[in-house]
Amino acid sequence: MKIKTEQIHFSEGLSLESGGRLDSFDLIIESYGELNESKSNAILLCHAFSGNHHAAGEDEELGIGWWDQIVGPKKAIDTEKYYVVCCNNLGGCAGSSGPTTINAATNKVFGKDFPLVTVDDWVNSQKMLMDKLDIPYWHLVAGGSLGGMQALQWSIAYPDKIKKAGIFAAAAKSSTQNIAMNEVARESIRKDKNFHNGDYYDHNVTPKNGIKTARMLGHITYLSEELMDSRFGRKFQDEASKVDQDVDFEVENYLQYKGEKFSEFFDANSYILMTKAMDGYDAGKGIDLEEAMENIKAELLIVGFYSDWLYPAERGKEIQIAGMNNNIKSSFVVFDGEHGHDSFLFHSKEYSNVIKKFIES
Amino acid sequence: MATKLSKIINHWVPENSKVIDFGCGDGSLLKELIETKNILGYGVEINNLKIEKCIEKGVPVIKQDIDKGMNEFKSSNFDLSIMARSIQCLKNPDLALNRMLELSKRCVVTLPNLGYWRCRINLASGKMPVTPELPSSWYETENIHLCTIKDFENLCKKENIKIKDKVFLNKDGSHGGLASIKPNLLAVEGVYLLEK
Repeated sequence: MKIKTEQIHFSEGLSLESGGRLDSFDLIIESYGELNESKSNAILLCHAFSGNHHAAGEDEELGIGWWDQIVGPKKAIDTEKYYVVCCNNLGGCAGSSGPTTINAATNKVFGKDFPLVTVDDWVNSQKMLMDKLDIPYWHLVAGGSLGGMQALQWSIAYPDKIKKAGIFAAAAKSSTQNIAMNEVARESIRKDKNFHNGDYYDHNVTPKNGIKTARMLGHITYLSEELMDSRFGRKFQDEASKVDQDVDFEVENYLQYKGEKFSEFFDANSYILMTKAMDGYDAGKGIDLEEAMENIKAELLIVGFYSDWLYPAERGKEIQIAGMNNNIKSSFVVFDGEHGHDSFLFHSKEYSNVIKKFIES
Repeated sequence: MATKLSKIINHWVPENSKVIDFGCGDGSLLKELIETKNILGYGVEINNLKIEKCIEKGVPVIKQDIDKGMNEFKSSNFDLSIMARSIQCLKNPDLALNRMLELSKRCVVTLPNLGYWRCRINLASGKMPVTPELPSSWYETENIHLCTIKDFENLCKKENIKIKDKVFLNKDGSHGGLASIKPNLLAVEGVYLLEK
């Protein structure tokens, strides 16, 4: 599969939900497949909080795409039939404008001064991207977790520009528990002595330990208790592959390894920004989900997983019910999912079939 | 779904109405109603393979165990709810019946008749009925609450449910004739339009 990577500049800037403004910005995108003549086969993929524009295929630097099991030639989202686009969201750290990019006004990296961005801002920036790519509408906008929130927001904000929305392992808003978990993660970053109140770039250090701890906590919430049990149980880590002598159990070694890897490339300010966006999203804008959804024209496919305790399936059902109350064509499907919250990333025959049939129906 | 049964149900479904089909299976009935009556239809189904079929047909579907509740559908203002050949599989058919009439003005219920003469012959010979309409053995059937036409109508009476219309089906799926003369003995299936 051919991966096309582009850096797209938006000199017109973007006014943000917070009241702030980006005078100009960049989005890095990947695309797969070809836009057909009638421009009716475009699909937008929205990434979850730590994802990026590399959704599918193998890249020398970025490895295998985060949704490679679902997106590709003859897969559920078939790149031989559809023109599939994925961008790194604003505030990310994989190439789009974010805390690690240079602020033209000061000629220094934005750092902690990168403005607060929200799910609504992302969707607005993706709409600008759609216009720039000369795509009249998306046949489908899809994503899991925070990506599912963007798909929902797309259907609310641009009802005429989206035919179908795939909202997987997501909710209309983060729960109290979600916010609480994210705050522990942020606190571990802020309390890292190398954080320097977000100005660590000036000190040539990164708050690696804080990011690592945050990610370790994150991983626990992404997996199900059952999966952790079956995969690691109470097995001891063999001496030869211990990342650290303090490690006893395999699960400790796994979390240490994953956390360490992540801390090597993910930016701390981005982490804080992305989790803030996730916590802050509320499709009902604090008033009423049903009212917020009344203008949706897209068909909705909401998928939940029984093993997901971070965004339990019932949270997806709330979206379907609100949609049905508004006479929106909306379906709600639940699968067991072996991987907890992460289940949306993985192919299973039934999950892939449902996505494929939804796209093609 | 036998086409004759769907024809009867079709007759009771108002144009452009909002319909929910509990135990919708592969979505064929809803698909037909979408095409012929321009309804807005939603199916409720527990089997993932059947759900996949609904999605393939473009029929909106909700994965839900009906036994675990139907309350969440109350706020959706349905004109009609349907439960075709499923009520006998539920833990609480009486509750389900009342719930359906809370969430929609009318409901259509169809059920196999355990009073059908073939079933009676089976029972008379000392065995649980196994007929073309009820093909499974007692230990593997999903039908845990089978009843006769008479039983069902008595339940409706007890629950103050009005029978607005009813049709009885013969073995070949046709209606009228023998089935309508002595339904409790001669009808294979009862099809009801109910109202509270």
